[in-house]
Amino acid sequence: MSASQQLTPTNPNSALKIRLAYRFLLTLNTLNAKKPPNFDHTQIHRRSHRVKIAAYASMASVVGPKRAWSRAILWKIRNRGMLARNKKRIHRISTPIRLHRHHARRRRNPNRVVHVDPFVNSGLEVKLRKLVPGAETIDPCGLLDETADYIKYLATQVEVMRNLVDLYSTI
Amino acid sequence: MEKEKFYTNERNGIPQAWNSIFGMGIEGSELNCSSEQLSNCFFNPNCENSIDQRDLFESALSSIVSSPANSHPGIPIPGGSNGGESIVLRELIGRLGSICNSGEISPQSGINGNNSTNNSYHNTPLNSPPKLNLSITDHQIQGSLPIPGNRQLPPAPFPTDPGFVERAARFSSFGAKNLMVKENESGTPSRSQFIGIAEENKKFSRLSMLSTQDNTERGDSREASSVSEQILSGETETETGMKGQSTSTNGRKRKVIPKGKGKETQSSTTILAKDDKVVAEAEKEESDAKRSKSDEEEIEKEKEKEKTKENVKPPEPPKDYIHVRARRGQATDSHSLAERVRREKISERMKFLQDLVPGCNKVTGKAVMLDEIINYVQSLQRQVEFLSMKLATVNPRMDVTMEALLSRDMFRSRVPVPTTINPFDSSTNQFPYGFQSPNAGILLDGSDNQFSLNPLMAAMHRNSIMKPSHIDGFEASAFLENDLQSVVKMALGGQDQPQSFHGQMKVEL
Repeated sequence: MSASQQLTPTNPNSALKIRLAYRFLLTLNTLNAKKPPNFDHTQIHRRSHRVKIAAYASMASVVGPKRAWSRAILWKIRNRGMLARNKKRIHRISTPIRLHRHHARRRRNPNRVVHVDPFVNSGLEVKLRKLVPGAETIDPCGLLDETADYIKYLATQVEVMRNLVDLYSTI
Repeated sequence: MEKEKFYTNERNGIPQAWNSIFGMGIEGSELNCSSEQLSNCFFNPNCENSIDQRDLFESALSSIVSSPANSHPGIPIPGGSNGGESIVLRELIGRLGSICNSGEISPQSGINGNNSTNNSYHNTPLNSPPKLNLSITDHQIQGSLPIPGNRQLPPAPFPTDPGFVERAARFSSFGAKNLMVKENESGTPSRSQFIGIAEENKKFSRLSMLSTQDNTERGDSREASSVSEQILSGETETETGMKGQSTSTNGRKRKVIPKGKGKETQSSTTILAKDDKVVAEAEKEESDAKRSKSDEEEIEKEKEKEKTKENVKPPEPPKDYIHVRARRGQATDSHSLAERVRREKISERMKFLQDLVPGCNKVTGKAVMLDEIINYVQSLQRQVEFLSMKLATVNPRMDVTMEALLSRDMFRSRVPVPTTINPFDSSTNQFPYGFQSPNAGILLDGSDNQFSLNPLMAAMHRNSIMKPSHIDGFEASAFLENDLQSVVKMALGGQDQPQSFHGQMKVEL
């Protein structure tokens, strides 16, 4: 009875953890196979960047395309070669979107009640939008949803990575 | 607390019943809300006096009726035992009627100004067939007591009687009065919402008139609706929980109207129709007062509203729009309504996020909470960065034992471990351990000593590598270079520590 009670809340989290760990280890393995590690400072820096990308990619691939943040991450990772190659073009593409958003918000503003809304009046919303990938263009409710989901996966990923670090440092 | 309440019920049961009959008499005679309000105004002092004269009553009653029957109406009756008890109750009522007609209650009539009407209205319920009356009173008394799953008498004889609705209306007022008396006298905190309102009434004396009226009318409609529901659907179970009844009021109110027979039901419907307005008014007033009072009550109020909102919607489609009902002073145009809905949605999400982000529970205010969330996301991202850096440095030995590790990890993590209830706490406990860089270095070396062939060289090598990567004050290598042997001894001495650490990791993953 008590065992079942304790098992049920941990089960989804641990399942998620297992999936994340599996993905992350797979990506790390491919990373190691592709570029055998050598110990140079710049190499280590680049390598840590790759590991970070691998972590985010494993997170996003576990979630799949059903979330905006995972879609954004996957898109960014998939196109990062292109992004690095022609940053100018991407910038030109992304600018009109931002302008459009700005315009829409300005048009919507006069209808609003004068009420101190932290989502509109402070810069916090913009900050959060910058932090959560793919959340630049979604409405505040969706932003909060995405943030919650993103936090969940990110926390689990951090835990997995920490466990891996401990594991490798002890063996 | 429950016992106490029951005790007071037991003590006050009979005088309350009389008082409520008196009040009902007035209401029945004039058939409108204002009279009921008047009766309510008379009602409270009246009741106090009746309590004072309770001894007289009880002595009179005990002389006539045997003691178990006397204590009966106030006592909560558990399910199933109604059949036998109702007979006793019938007896009791019949005897009470005889007392009433013989005029033994002269002190009461002296207090209540409406003496003549009272007597006439005493007669009406008691002259009608006693069985139905009995069942109804039984219902009311039991319904007013908070017993969940209270089995009532089977409602078979109800629809056959044409005058039943009339009596139901009266007895609904009966029950309501009963309720109100109990609430006003023995305010028990187990009935949260209504008691809260009652206490509000006591606090705000300027609202007392209006909201007592509100109270009684709510109770009235509630009781009427529950009775009518029993008529219609033949349900034998009444909801005795306060919330359920108060919320079911709005939903089932209309059912009385199609069933209407005679003028009494019409009057009851008019009362109910007025109920809308009065309740709305009272709510506005209450919300005003509460807003001026504190935020906690505002929150309570909102919860209450949400509950009513949830329960109102199914039966009546035209009432659906209520869930964005504006309070007093709020704008009612579509834009502000939409804005309000949006804000509600946002606060809902914020509550959800509050559970996710640690240390966000005590924070009040959306802006602070958002700040907290942003900080948390940033810290998580920084942790990912840091850990990836660490993994990049630790990685080299991993590719050899990759598959073995993977399979072992998978195998371990499939074993359900019940101790991973709070992952955040354990991880935060674990994290500073990784930050204790000299300690970690020693650990690393110790493990190297355990597993690799030439321990000292490996330790030297590793530390020289790790020095640039670990940014913050990683002095372990210099330390080791100075006194390698002692450190290795230390590490070997503390061998059980990495073992335990490993075990913890097992649990974690």
